[in-house]
Order: sequence, then C-alpha cells, then structure tokens
Amino acid sequence: MSAKNRTKYVARLAFTAALLVLSLAGCASRPSEQVRYGLTLAPSGIDPHVNASSELGIPLTSVYDTLVYLDPETNEFVPGLAERWEISGDGLAYTFHLKKGVTFHDGTPFNAEAVKFNFDRITSTDLKSQKALFMLGPYDRTEVVDESTVRILLTQPYAPLLDSLSQVYLGMASPTAVQKWAANYQLHQVGSGPFVMAEYVPGDHLLLKPNLDYRWGPSVYKNRRAQAAEIEFRFFTDAATRSPALESGETDIMGEIPPQDAKRLESSSELKIQVVPIPGVSLMFFLNTTRPPLDDVRVRRALLYGTDRKAIISTVFQDLSPLAYGPLAANTLGYDPAVQAFYPYDGEKAAALLAEAGWTDSDGDGLLDKAGQRLVLTAVLMGWGSMPEVSQLLESQWQALGIQLSSQVVSYPEALQIAQEGSYHLIPFNLSGSDPDILRKFFRSEASFNWSKIDDAEMDGWLDEASRLTDRAQRVALYGQVQLRVMDEALVVPVRDYVNLNGVSKRVQDLRYDGQGWFPWLIDVAINSSGK
Amino acid sequence: MSARSLGGRARRFRPIPIAAAAWLVVVGVLAVVAPRLAPQGPTTADPASALLPPRAGSPLGTDFLGREIWVRLAWGARLTLAAGAVALALAVAVGLPVGLAAGGRGGWVDSVLMRLVDGLLAFPGLLLAMAVMAILGGGMDSVAIAVGLTAAPAYSRVARTVAREVRIQPYIDAARALGCSPWRIAARHILPNAGPALVSFAGAQLGSILLMMGALNFLGLGAAPGSPEWGMMLADGRGYLRQAPWASVFPGLALALTVLAANLLGDAWE
Amino acid sequence: MAARYLFRRAVGAVVVLWLAATLAFLALKLTPGDPAQALLAASGATPDEIAARRAQLGLDASLPIQYGRYLADLVRIDLGESWLHGRPVGQMIAEQLPSTLALAMAATAVAAILGLLLGLPAALRQGTWVDTLTTSVSVVGLSTPTYWSGLLAILVFSLYLPWLPSAGQGSLGHLVLPAGVLGFAMSGAIARVVRAQVAEVLRANYVVAAHAKGLSPLRVLFVHVLRNAMGPALAVTALQFGFMLSGAVVTESVFARRGLGKLVVQAIIWRDLPVVRGVMLVAALAFVLTSLAADLARGWLDPRLREELQ
Repeated sequence: MSAKNRTKYVARLAFTAALLVLSLAGCASRPSEQVRYGLTLAPSGIDPHVNASSELGIPLTSVYDTLVYLDPETNEFVPGLAERWEISGDGLAYTFHLKKGVTFHDGTPFNAEAVKFNFDRITSTDLKSQKALFMLGPYDRTEVVDESTVRILLTQPYAPLLDSLSQVYLGMASPTAVQKWAANYQLHQVGSGPFVMAEYVPGDHLLLKPNLDYRWGPSVYKNRRAQAAEIEFRFFTDAATRSPALESGETDIMGEIPPQDAKRLESSSELKIQVVPIPGVSLMFFLNTTRPPLDDVRVRRALLYGTDRKAIISTVFQDLSPLAYGPLAANTLGYDPAVQAFYPYDGEKAAALLAEAGWTDSDGDGLLDKAGQRLVLTAVLMGWGSMPEVSQLLESQWQALGIQLSSQVVSYPEALQIAQEGSYHLIPFNLSGSDPDILRKFFRSEASFNWSKIDDAEMDGWLDEASRLTDRAQRVALYGQVQLRVMDEALVVPVRDYVNLNGVSKRVQDLRYDGQGWFPWLIDVAINSSGK
Repeated sequence: MSARSLGGRARRFRPIPIAAAAWLVVVGVLAVVAPRLAPQGPTTADPASALLPPRAGSPLGTDFLGREIWVRLAWGARLTLAAGAVALALAVAVGLPVGLAAGGRGGWVDSVLMRLVDGLLAFPGLLLAMAVMAILGGGMDSVAIAVGLTAAPAYSRVARTVAREVRIQPYIDAARALGCSPWRIAARHILPNAGPALVSFAGAQLGSILLMMGALNFLGLGAAPGSPEWGMMLADGRGYLRQAPWASVFPGLALALTVLAANLLGDAWE
Repeated sequence: MAARYLFRRAVGAVVVLWLAATLAFLALKLTPGDPAQALLAASGATPDEIAARRAQLGLDASLPIQYGRYLADLVRIDLGESWLHGRPVGQMIAEQLPSTLALAMAATAVAAILGLLLGLPAALRQGTWVDTLTTSVSVVGLSTPTYWSGLLAILVFSLYLPWLPSAGQGSLGHLVLPAGVLGFAMSGAIARVVRAQVAEVLRANYVVAAHAKGLSPLRVLFVHVLRNAMGPALAVTALQFGFMLSGAVVTESVFARRGLGKLVVQAIIWRDLPVVRGVMLVAALAFVLTSLAADLARGWLDPRLREELQ
C-alpha cells in the first residue's frame, strides 16, 4: 500500500490497540467505590415483614428505617423515624411523634397513616408472617392520632416492644409500593433508608444503590448519606466457598467464616477478621431435668464441673469465641457477671458429686452405674453451629468421668418433635436477640423452647414481671436472678457466646454492626481504594 | 457381558483377585481385633495433639480433636463391614424372592412386580436411599436399611432374568408335570442353577453398597457425629483439608481399596 | 411398526412415571416432623397459631384427598409450594436445574471420551498389558468414591497447585474439577460396554470379510466397527446421564456448587417434602426420558435391531 495509506493504517491500528487496552483496563477494575458483600444463606423469601431469616436483614437494614434504633454501645434506644415517644403509665399505649419531611424511595410521604398501614399488613392473617408478627407480642391495634403522631396499643404491657421496633422486621415500607407489587413485593422493596433496592435476582445477587435524598438518619449513623457507590450482595451458602472468595478478591466482606479458616486469615496481609459478638442466648446444652439421671441436680452439677469448656473454645472455636458462663451472652442487656463464679473446671469435684449421687463403677468396665443401670446420656443435635464437633469433644471428656454420651444429628423439625416428646437428655441451641426477654422462651414453664423442662413458679414470676416492666434497672435485677437460678439449678451447660466471624478486606473502612450483631450499618461503609 | 475377566481365559494363578481377597481379609481382621489393638476407642480426644502429621508412633496422623486416624480407621472397619453386610443381606432377602417369583411364575405376576421394580429403579439410587432415610431418620441402622432397600430392586431384576432363563428349561416342565409345587421347583431347581450368577452379582453390589453408605454419611445424613465410619471421617476432615490432608486422604483410600477389592472379586468370580 | 414400538414404550414410560409419583407421595407422607411447627416455633407462636398454619398448608385433609390433589396438580405440572420457602417448587427446581445440567453434560462428555479412550485400546489389544491397564483404570474409576477423588482433586489442583478454583461456580474453570471427577467415576461403565461391543464386532463376519477384502484397518475401524458398536455404547452413555443426578448430589456438595443436589439435601434435612418430591419426580422423568432415548438410539444404530422392528 502507499505511504499515506500505510500511515493511516498504522494510526488506526495504534488507536484500536489503545482503545482495547483502555477498555480491558476498564473491564478489569470495577466502579472504584463498589462494595461486594457475601451472604451466607440464600433465603428465597426476603420480605422482612414475612420471613424470619436473619440473612435478609444484612442488606435490608439499610433499605428500611425503623421507628427507633438501638445503640449497641449504650444499649439505649435513640430516635429513628420517631423523633420522640411516650409510654403510658400502664404500659399499654406507645405514642410516637414522627419526623417530618421523610419520604420513601418512591416519593410517597412517610406519615402516621403509613405506619398504621405497615402494622396492619404485618398483623394480617393473609400475610402469614413468620417473625415480625410475633415480635409485636400482645399487640392490639394502631391508631392514627394526627398526620405525624401514631399510637400503638397493647393488651398487656410488653417491655421488649421498643427492641422489636428497632429491628428491620418491623421496618417501615412504602404503602404505595406494597399495594402496587402485592405478591411480588419482595423483589421490589421500597423503604426510606439510606440505600435503595436496585435489583434482586433470587439466589444470585442483590444490588443496593444510595438514596440520594436521605437526610433523616439516626444519631448512630456517622454519615448523613451513603458513602459507597453501590453494594452488591452475592450468595456463598457453602462454608467451604467463603474464605476462597475472600482470598481471591471476589468479595470484600463475608460473614460466618469457619473458625479454622478465620484463624488462618488473621495473619493475612490483605484481610482482617472482624469478630462481632451476637447478643442473645449463648450456645448451650439444655439438660432435661425430667429424665433420669438428669433429674438429680448433683448429676447435672457434676456435668458442669466435669466439662473443660476452655478446651472446647480453643479446639473447636480456635479461641475466637468468648466462653459462656451463663444462659445470656455477655454483651446482652441484663447479663449478670455473677454467673462467672459458677462451675470452674474441676474433675475431682465432678467425680465426688457423681459418687454422692450413688454412681460408681461397680463392674470395672469404665462406665459408672447404679442399680444395674449404666450412666448413658443421649444428645439430640442439629447440624449447625459446630454442635457436632462440640458434642464429640464432650463425649470424650465425659468418657473420662465414666459417662457415655451418644449423639445424633436430626433436622430442626425432628428436633422439635423429640423435644416435645421429651425423649432426650441434652439438646444444644443458641438464639440471637438483644432483649433479655428471650430467656422467657427457654425457661418459662410452658414456653415452646423449655428444653430443660423446668417448672419453677418463682422463676416464671420473675420472667413474666420483667417482660411487663418498663423500668430498666428493675428488669435487669430480675433477669439477674433468673440467670443465677438457672446456673444454680444447673439447667444448662453453657459453651460459648456466639460470634460472627467476618472476613473483611483491609480496604474496607467503617464497617459497624448494629445492636443485633448481625446487621451492618452500610451507610458508613466505604472502600479505601487508594491502597491499604 | 462375558468379556469381563481380566487378562485370562482358564482358571490359573491370577494375582489381582488374590490381592483383592487379601485386602478384604486384612480389613476383616482389623475390624475384629480393633478393640484389642486400640482399646482407647475411636472417640477419645486429645486436643493438645490435634492435626499432627504422620510420624513415629502415629502412622496416619491425628484429626482435629487429636484422635489417631489409624485407630478410627480400625474401629470404623467394624461399622463399615457390619453395615455393608446388613445392607447386602437385606437387598438379597427382599430382592431375591420378588425376582424369583416374577421370573418363576411369569404372566401377570411378572408384569406387576416388574413394573413396581421399574418404578423404583426410575429414581437415582442415592436419591432413593435419601428418601428412605427421610422416613427412617438418622443413624447407621437407617443407613444400612435404606441402602439395602435401594439395592433390592436391581437385585430382583437380575434374579428375575436368571429365574426366567431356568424356567423355560424342559426339565422344569417335566417337574411341573410330575406335580411338584412351585415352591419346590424354585427351591430344588431354580435356585441352585441360578446360584452362581446371583452370588456374583451380590459381590458386585457390595461395592456400590459401600459407596452409597459412605455418600450418605459424607452428606451428614447418617451416622452419629464422632462415629468413625469412613465416609463420615471424610466429611470431618474436609474442613481441615489444607492443614491436615491426611485426615481425608487415608479414610478415602481405605474405602476406595475396599470397594475396589469387592469389585475385582465380583468380576473374577465369573 | 416403529410407531407402534414407540407408542408401547411411551405408555410404559407413563406407567412407570405414575408409579414413581405414587411411591414419592406415599414414602414422604410417612416422614416424622411437623412442618408448620418448624416454620413458626422459633418465632414463639402458640399451638393454636401453628394449627391454623397447618390447615392453611392443607396438611389436615385425609390421605386419599391429599393424593387426589397431588395427582391433579402433577398433571397441570404444579409441583406445589415449598413448605420452607413458600415458593413454587417448579420455580425453585428451574432455578437450580441449569447448574446441575451443566455439570451433568460436562461430566457425560468427559465420561464418554474417557470411556472411548479406555475401552477401544482394550478391545483392540485384548489379552495384552494394554487391556489389563485400561481395564484396571476403569475399575479403579468405578470403585473410587467421588467424595474422595473430589477432595484429592481439590488438594492437588487447587491448594497445592493453585490452578483451578476449588468451590463455587461462574466460569468454565469452575466446571473442570467437578466434571472431571464425576466423569472419571462414570467412565468405567462406558469403557466396559465399548470394550465388549467392539470386541464382539471385531469378531463378526463382515469385519473379517472387510479385512480380507484388503481395506485399511483404520477404515475398517471407523466405518464398520465403531458404527455398529456405538449403539449400545450410546445407550449406556444416555443411561449414565440419567444417573448423573445421584453423582451430582455428592459432587455439588464437595465443590460447593449450586444445583438440584444441594437443593434436595437441604430439603431432606428440613423435611421440606414438596421440594424432595419435586426433585425426585424430575429425576425419575429424566431417567425415563433418557432410557427411552437410549432405546431409540440403540435401535436406530444397530442394524440388527432395525431389521427386527421392520
């Protein structure tokens, strides 16, 4: 070709090459302020008014605002969508004065009518709410007092109400959107929070984009508006996929990292482990006090003295979990540190108690027996939370005492059925919650999770009263008594406080979690793209 | 399917089946003497020596609770072999009569029974076993029963084919003409002639039975936590694959070798 | 005649499907545990509320009525709603199916190729060390549990040599290890059939005649031998595809892939009966269809059978 054409040709080639290189560079990097968050469960229902999964709260806590917020550092409630509130003397009426000028993402104004609409929706039988409804306790109805004043009425005093109202399950949704999308609402959720739900493909990903009009955030938010350009959530349901995804840079944040992987990642130069303690009922084994030989308090106490719980924490949980001394996790409101005095590991004391209860190894087979019966305990486990590993270690530790522990792993529905029938000695469980009223679910005599099968009228009285009082100091005192009674009667073998092991890229800043422990306040999260 | 035997026509000294049989004998012996050889049991934990590699005094290393792998393999052999035997016995006990009845009688009995068997065979084996386990609940006994029942339909198919071949022989007609009852015919004539084929199929099935049991335990649907069942050991070791690969490599190797031995012996029987 | 054969097989397939559906219904009706209770107990619902939810889910009706509703739903391709998630089972299966199909197809391809590579040399060099070696490899493949070979593959190709991802999906790279492991396990059966069929065909008269005519061995191999031997081999391959669902359950678990396997294991643990039932029916359908296809393939490719049908 001619010289002129050749020049043109070369120029075009160079231009194309440059374009290619630039576009490839563009493909290789993502929007520099996009945060990628890994979720560990893929619930196919993520409507907080309907579904119970805590995973849905991770993105949606920042899509919705709630009437009040729980400050995890002070354990006090701060204004949210309600700028102030009054509780009537009899504890039956909660009057909320709402912030003015708040709008939902679709432009619908937020007002008392909207609040009433939300509560009517949650309590309607058609919705089949799995959690939100039950968080309202003895709810009666909601009244609109005026445009920015709303009153919630109860049939009985219910102290945990404010705590419930601070959670995403009772977040405020746009009435217009709910009515418009009906059964498909969960795919197009509209709140008033710092992020907008931009896109949701079930099981694949969820995309949040900042709400540019947001200016009514609570005091617990450090920033007025979202710092990240967008947040993309993807699902990593299998524990084996989580640390590889972090290490390969596929995600920036991922929760529920298995303890042994977390231990390894602690020494990584690009990742850090953010340990978030979860308030609520610790991981513990409930002892069935109605089934011999656990009906003898000495045998139960022997189990507690004979368990080296520190070994469990270091072997199974890699020392990343605090040891649990009582039924409540240490960062829960109402936790009584006096429980730490109970049952230090003492093998001899355990042996002495068992002997006192009449158990001896009369036939020299290594197992204790009494009146011809061997000391055999059965545990019914569910497959999560490292319960199988813990029970294996317990089996070995109690073997040294002469006790045989046999465990089986069953599904949750089956465990509930076995629990109802009472054909077990031990069941381990843990449940998260920021209000100590959670103890009532487990230790009140007719409660559905009363797996110790305890029937203690005095403790029932404490639990009932504490759920009705509004004075915090009085409630704390009562729950303290409950915890001491539980440990004194050796109703449970506490193992550890639940912690969420979050793997976080060191480029992520200001990742803070709310009072429930599970839910991040995404408004402040940002990627420091200028390096580590 | 006659071209299956390995490398030889006449029955002469073949090292492979002998090695296979030897391995099975070793596993059997280990299963029997485990309590004597390793009296501490498979569950005694020693967290201080967790995840240690094979070395002097610990030929196969330790797992995440400090338990010796070789001890757990030995005790696990008992579970594996016992459960395998139960499952196989169940498969034969259920499948054989059905197959013989179908093949021996023919007619509508054959059609109905075989349609039922086809209905069951339409499900992938593992899935069927899982469904049975969903009914029976967890535990090794449920695993053995579920796997045995799942293996039964295939067994009854083979039994039917063989029984059918024997039934059309002239001497069966003769026996019937003489007035022999169907049961007597089955016992005296069909069974003995069908015997070898049935035994060889049972041997081949043992391998797939062991694999399926291991799969159920690996998926966490079967044995109790802490059980030294080999499939379960694989699941336990999986979380520590990077730090302690021996905890997964050795149990799997034991299982693979045992299944291989069973398959090789089943092949060689022909 | 071909049409009549097809019709008979189709009717047989429907009968088998109906039986499978009934068995699935009966079997899972016997499971213990109350789904309504499981859904609500953690939220603190009262026994009355649980009973009301049970009625809402239709669990109160008598067994024959539930069976009738079940069959009617199936005919309309309505597999019901998941008790755990409340979503249509059909939709949940449709979401997971592509991932499992991708794995199954890739693994079948691997199995077919490996089966050919192992079976052909064995048949061509019967009785020699080639035969012994390739047959041994086949048997080893059949005997090795995928939940072990999978972990070994992860150990070698993902942890020690960081070549391939160990878990998850999204790229072709994610498919290599799982398809390889599963395909290797399934290749043994195909290799066996290839070896047997090719060996048989090699002895057949028309092949000997072709050799005698002076045709090159390669031409004989490809034109005559393979074409006649492939019928049963293809049939077995199709059947293996039908069996893939069993293999996929374990492989998906080892490599942490989404798919039907994971779906059904979760459903069994949680007693989500509609989902278990749905997956089992889909599996049965897949099996029936693939065995039908296998029969047809065998019939079409095998000239002797074709004559039989005429």
